[in-house]
Amino acid sequence: MPTTMHRSSSKLKLLKLAYQYVVNNVMTLILTLGMVAVSMHLYRAGPEELVAMVQSLNVSSVQVLTSTFLVVFVATVYLMSKPRTVYMVDYACFKPPFTFRVPFATFMEHSRLILKDNPKSVDFQMMILERSGLGEETCLPPAIQYIPPNPTMADARAEAEQVIFSAVDDLLKKTGVSPKEIDILIVNCSLFSPTPSLSAMVVNKYKMRSNVKSFNLAGMGCSCSPISIDLARDLLQTHPNSNALVISTEIITPNYYQGKERAMLLPNCLFRMGCAAILLTNKRRLGSRSKYRLLHIVRTHRGSDDKSYRCVFEEEDRDGKVGISLSKELMRIAGDALKSNITTIGPLVLPASEQLLFLASLIGRKIINPKWKPYIPDFKQAFNHFCIHAGGRAVIDELQKSLDLSAEHVEASRMTLHRFGNTSSSSLWYELSYIEAKGRMRRGNRVWMIAFGSGFKCNSAVWACNRNISGRDDGPWADFIDRYPVHIPEIVKL
Amino acid sequence: MGFFILLCLVPLLYLFTTIWKRAFTGGDKSCYILDYECHKPSDDRMISTDISGDIIMRNKNLGLNEYKFLLKAIVNSGIGEQTYGPRNVLEGREECPTLDDSLEEMDDFFNDSIEKLLKRSGVSPQEIDILVVNVSMLAVSPSLTSRIINHYKMREDIRSFNLTGMGCSASLISVDIVRNLFKANKNQYALVVTSESLTPNWYTGNDRSMILANCLFRSGGCAMLLTNKAAMRKKAMFRLNCLVRTHHGGRDEAYGCCMQRDDAEGRLGFYLGKDLPKAATRAFVDNLRVLAPKILPVTELLRFMWIRVLKRLNFGAAKKGGAGGAVGGAAIDFRTGVDHFCIHTGGKAVIDGIGTNLGLSEYDLEPARMTLHRFGNTSASSLWYVLSYMEAKKRLQKGDRVLMISFGAGFKCNSCLWEVMRDLEGNNVWKEFIDNYPVKKIVNPYLEKFGWINSEEESTFKMPESLSHK
Repeated sequence: MPTTMHRSSSKLKLLKLAYQYVVNNVMTLILTLGMVAVSMHLYRAGPEELVAMVQSLNVSSVQVLTSTFLVVFVATVYLMSKPRTVYMVDYACFKPPFTFRVPFATFMEHSRLILKDNPKSVDFQMMILERSGLGEETCLPPAIQYIPPNPTMADARAEAEQVIFSAVDDLLKKTGVSPKEIDILIVNCSLFSPTPSLSAMVVNKYKMRSNVKSFNLAGMGCSCSPISIDLARDLLQTHPNSNALVISTEIITPNYYQGKERAMLLPNCLFRMGCAAILLTNKRRLGSRSKYRLLHIVRTHRGSDDKSYRCVFEEEDRDGKVGISLSKELMRIAGDALKSNITTIGPLVLPASEQLLFLASLIGRKIINPKWKPYIPDFKQAFNHFCIHAGGRAVIDELQKSLDLSAEHVEASRMTLHRFGNTSSSSLWYELSYIEAKGRMRRGNRVWMIAFGSGFKCNSAVWACNRNISGRDDGPWADFIDRYPVHIPEIVKL
Repeated sequence: MGFFILLCLVPLLYLFTTIWKRAFTGGDKSCYILDYECHKPSDDRMISTDISGDIIMRNKNLGLNEYKFLLKAIVNSGIGEQTYGPRNVLEGREECPTLDDSLEEMDDFFNDSIEKLLKRSGVSPQEIDILVVNVSMLAVSPSLTSRIINHYKMREDIRSFNLTGMGCSASLISVDIVRNLFKANKNQYALVVTSESLTPNWYTGNDRSMILANCLFRSGGCAMLLTNKAAMRKKAMFRLNCLVRTHHGGRDEAYGCCMQRDDAEGRLGFYLGKDLPKAATRAFVDNLRVLAPKILPVTELLRFMWIRVLKRLNFGAAKKGGAGGAVGGAAIDFRTGVDHFCIHTGGKAVIDGIGTNLGLSEYDLEPARMTLHRFGNTSASSLWYVLSYMEAKKRLQKGDRVLMISFGAGFKCNSCLWEVMRDLEGNNVWKEFIDNYPVKKIVNPYLEKFGWINSEEESTFKMPESLSHK
């Protein structure tokens, strides 16, 4: 029985493959058949007949000129009205120094000392840490490593300077672009927003030009990186020949929860230091050596639903301490937001075969039998790599299940969560860096970045790899990539 | 012959392509303001002279010297008795602002301005495609944009941006975002919401450079509805002609001249440095340098260049002879290209400074001065109160050009030129009391009530029951 089942399932697989190949390449097939037919006819006709045919057309020179004119005209209009391609020249991630690491033992020791009057909260934090999927090398800024932490604005600024300047220095060195060549600057940091803004801080440090267009986005949660890229893309449509520097980060120092409410202690266990700096451009000259090309950005905002709006909420606890409370329905809300996002991005990226199947199942459910299971399109057909925001182990598990991804697809997300923790909006870039460091990125590969954030938002960005990327890049994983992937147990006993 | 025809085809091709682009690919991507609404907080939030006295007395860190300094600052600021403050300060809770207080201040503003704006314009919240919120000193999660989206149940595919930390010039940065998005996407409605959060930022220490902020900043906000739909052109109030941004963050003195930081005792405050006017002037001059060629008529530019040439020649003669003499009126006259000036109400000094630099009359500066008097420095939204004043005074006729100039932390100077699309009646926040303005010059109420402080000596000074009892 198993062998027949095995045979029938492999037959089914072959059938499916054949179906996909035919539907996805229908245009090529028709054109090839057409060309074969024409060339056969020509072969049979012979050269003298061909010359006679051309002469018999009897076109005057005016007609020839007008037709060439029309062809050239239509081609020019088409080329000029195409939106400008946005390239990602390169990106760099902050490499935290080893001295900032917070192993489990350190974290628990600090927790026991700070929350000594609340053993239940300490136990809660231990339970979260055991199941979090974080490793022993995630990093927290020095101001938070005091017992108890007492962060000042100067400390917050210092952390911002360290992470941002380090990443930007790295990026400018890698790309060879000078700060004076930056035309657009977008900085996004959710929970720290001094005046003057972080973007002004970057302009000051790198002495950028006085007509740089700077924007500072804040409060938009862990999904802010695609939002910044979205803004950069539109700006690059209206500014020809420009470079845009996008910086995504989260500053931990002022946001460490100092109270004892359990729901609010959760972020303390997960959020860690990180920053990513990305250089985008629409200059053709830089396009050829860019790593990626931006294909699509899809933003979904579920704020109109009250439960979604309240599921990640910054508020004060009973003692007046500010922290972020995470609702218990976070997974369900994330799933709904993802479904909305997929509905929009599906038609843009899925190959024709999947779209037809989806359409067929939709029609079938509407007309024939509403009890049919909805067909979930196979996104593995559209993308080679997935960068899922390392929000927490549960998020990655949930997405792996709903998108039917293999362990290798979510490996980048899991390993980033393990090595760097939840670095909020910059986590997508650490994951991309992992895939590159492992040497898996090939020219033409497509990457899907999915990020979730407070609001509740689900934002996606789709990139196509522009050139072969050697793994020997000097990224944040360079020194220890060979240790990965590691096996992350369900529960680490502390 | 054939080659000649081919040669003629090239310019013909170019002509065709330009016509095609203009006619068919949505040539009109202008940015229009359909409507806007400034926020007038409820009257129980007014900061009168008595209340000012009480607030100052409550701060036990202040002594006689600080009182003298504060009196001078308030008198020089040009602020009147009807500006609005945050509720927590008026209720005596400035030492311990809660997150709920801050959000309540924002909700007061949203529920007033955005509500009125959407109702009057007839645009439903679900039609909004772009939402930009800029509030400099409050960053909450979820952002204020999400708060608005949740309250008005806006669409899922709305493109929202929440700007913070960009200072008093941020509303023009928001307009810049909208303008760029309009160029890349057709047929959109955009809602821009600009305000400042005072609740968590009231300074409770005694550093003089930081107390100044308490004397100047007041509550206010503005919500604007913009569109690039060509069909809405008839209903639009203004059209954006150009927008110029100048960022002097590259200079250390400009970057550090106004900054949020902890004072010596660890209290958070907004530091305003002594070289702020110089940084502002530099940024302003740089901005004008880029702006002038875009908005002034060619005749004025030529006249200015001619005068500069003459001056240089004359200067050459002066070097030799010593009795050169200036070729009068070398300043460029912006009134040839601009009919009205909307100046950021940063303080009396800022308005005076710009007035001198641009050679403006009292009539030109009146809207800014009166806004400062009635509403104080409402930070990023101040420009829109100034615009409302002009509208209420029926100064804005079709075809007029309005120049907005704002400054902000960083140091930035942003300016833009609006063209009035139709005669405006002025049914706005100023309507109830516009006839009381302009205010004639009378004794400053603060000087009247608290002037006795100036004659006190430190050694003999005894803290009275209430500052106004004398």
